[in-house]
Amino acid sequence: MGLLDFFKRIEPDKKKSPLLHTAYDAFFTFAFSPNTTAKGGVHIHDGMDLKRTMIHVVLAMQFCYIFGMYNIGHQHFLAIGEHTGLLEGLHLKLAFGLVKLLPIIVVSNLVGLGIEFYFAAKKGHAVEEGYIVSGALIPLIMPPDLPLWILALAVIFAVWIGKEAFGGTGMNILNIALLARVFVFFAYPTTISGDEVWVAGLADQGAGLAANYGGIFTGFFNWIFESFNWTTFNNGALVVDGYSGATPLSLAYQGGWEAVTDKYTTSSMFWGTIPGSIGETSKPLILLGVAILLLTRIASWRIMLSMFIGAAVMAMMLNAWGATPFMEVPWFYQFYMGSFFFAMAFMATDPVTAASTNRGKWIYGFFIGFVGMIVRVLNPAYPEGWMLAILFMNVFAPLIDHYVLEANISKRLKRA
Amino acid sequence: MEFFNIFIKAAFIENMVLAYFLGMCSYLAVSKSVTTAFGLGLAVIFVLGITLPINWVISEMILSENGWLGMDLTFLRFILFIAVIASMVQLVEMIVEKVSPALYNSLGIFLPLITVNCAILGGSLFMVAREYNFGESVAYGLGSGFGWFLAILAIAAIREKIRYSNVPPALRGLGMAFILTGLMGIAFMSLMGIDPAALAAGN
Repeated sequence: MGLLDFFKRIEPDKKKSPLLHTAYDAFFTFAFSPNTTAKGGVHIHDGMDLKRTMIHVVLAMQFCYIFGMYNIGHQHFLAIGEHTGLLEGLHLKLAFGLVKLLPIIVVSNLVGLGIEFYFAAKKGHAVEEGYIVSGALIPLIMPPDLPLWILALAVIFAVWIGKEAFGGTGMNILNIALLARVFVFFAYPTTISGDEVWVAGLADQGAGLAANYGGIFTGFFNWIFESFNWTTFNNGALVVDGYSGATPLSLAYQGGWEAVTDKYTTSSMFWGTIPGSIGETSKPLILLGVAILLLTRIASWRIMLSMFIGAAVMAMMLNAWGATPFMEVPWFYQFYMGSFFFAMAFMATDPVTAASTNRGKWIYGFFIGFVGMIVRVLNPAYPEGWMLAILFMNVFAPLIDHYVLEANISKRLKRA
Repeated sequence: MEFFNIFIKAAFIENMVLAYFLGMCSYLAVSKSVTTAFGLGLAVIFVLGITLPINWVISEMILSENGWLGMDLTFLRFILFIAVIASMVQLVEMIVEKVSPALYNSLGIFLPLITVNCAILGGSLFMVAREYNFGESVAYGLGSGFGWFLAILAIAAIREKIRYSNVPPALRGLGMAFILTGLMGIAFMSLMGIDPAALAAGN
């Protein structure tokens, strides 16, 4: 038990430095479940505590992280027409993605956890685990080139107003990760919507749009790659003529399913080698995460299933209506585009903001699917609907629970 | 279909509370429990649904230059609108007192105060500004009333839920209600920008 001894040795004094002890406590309970027992009231102890539950969700996301890292690089090299094969220049793509993704992860966690630590010390109790999942989700739903100060502002808004004002973990009404994204979406719309933002390393280079790598690529990474005799980063490659980073959804809005298939194949949309938010693109890997969440029984299958049904029903109704090209996209192809599965797996199932009764979950999930498809197809202002649909239903989740409970109470009263 | 579009638009897309922030006083004051919020919401739907068509008749038939009197009396609009709203609210008050004394007591002063609820006068003025016809004004009245009803029910359920939360003492009560309203406004922005009329026309 070397680690336990190490933790015991470095434990700071609780009286002298409360902030330091709070931080220490957070990392200690991360590694070991504490063996102290609560003094007042009745408590149920279980090995599967909040921290372990959250870590399972984070683990289920790791596939999305690895693929997201690759896809940032892949989309970049597609744009400048180098290494267009899937596995060509893999080391370059991964290195490029890593350098783009790592600062986003660091800023998201540093800012969010900083606020959590501060409030925990201020309120005088242990650090709450809530931000572990939010902090892992936020990088996955941002575009790769988002300026870091905007990300920091969004995280501050979401954690402070969305969570700490309500009293901390487990008491927020709206999903924290989505609140951070919606903040960017409404406050800095140009950084998160449009055709240019989804491909990294090209937006900020002016007219010529030549690839121009910083010192970290040409210096550090090229030094490593040269020693293996691998291909290296080269400045000056121009963006391919006629290239556009339009996502399938924006193409579908303009010209229906035909416009999408002109540019992307269904298999590339399915496997995820398309532009989009960092973690949302690859459907099989998200479904792998779904499998983990369902096997460990952390996420609710009711919400996932009913959300799928809701979206399918709405999409079929839109098919029947068929007034615009987007409405005529066959309903099952709607699931190939955009972030439906990511939202279903990790956002809608958030146990804090979802409805908590079983029947309520069916209603809640169904309406997310229903409203989300309306926003996606019918609302010209927004490219994708799930973020706003989930926030919309978050607002109504307590109301759904209230009436489900009322109905149950009156049913039982009648039976008695 | 046209009336349905106006109903949906008034209820969800241009929600009185969460898009225009009208009718905030009773919305914030009576949203502590779902039951009373439900009662007040129904009263607002009723008052909006009745006063808008009546006000439409008054504004088109009496106050307008093309009306029965043949004079431009639009400067009387506010006074007459308020008079109609006040008498309707009085009617609602008598009905509620007769039918459900418990609800009457829990609503207290906020039931007569629907008279000065800006969502109601706002509804009438929007109706005039947007030049709705009679049928449209009925749909608009019911739709905006339903939107208000939905908003107050949602915030009442949330406020019942966060009663068990560890909200910082400085924010308890109204402070939290304001923050909540803002966050709900963000969530309602999901539907903003949809144009039902254009969609129905097929473009």
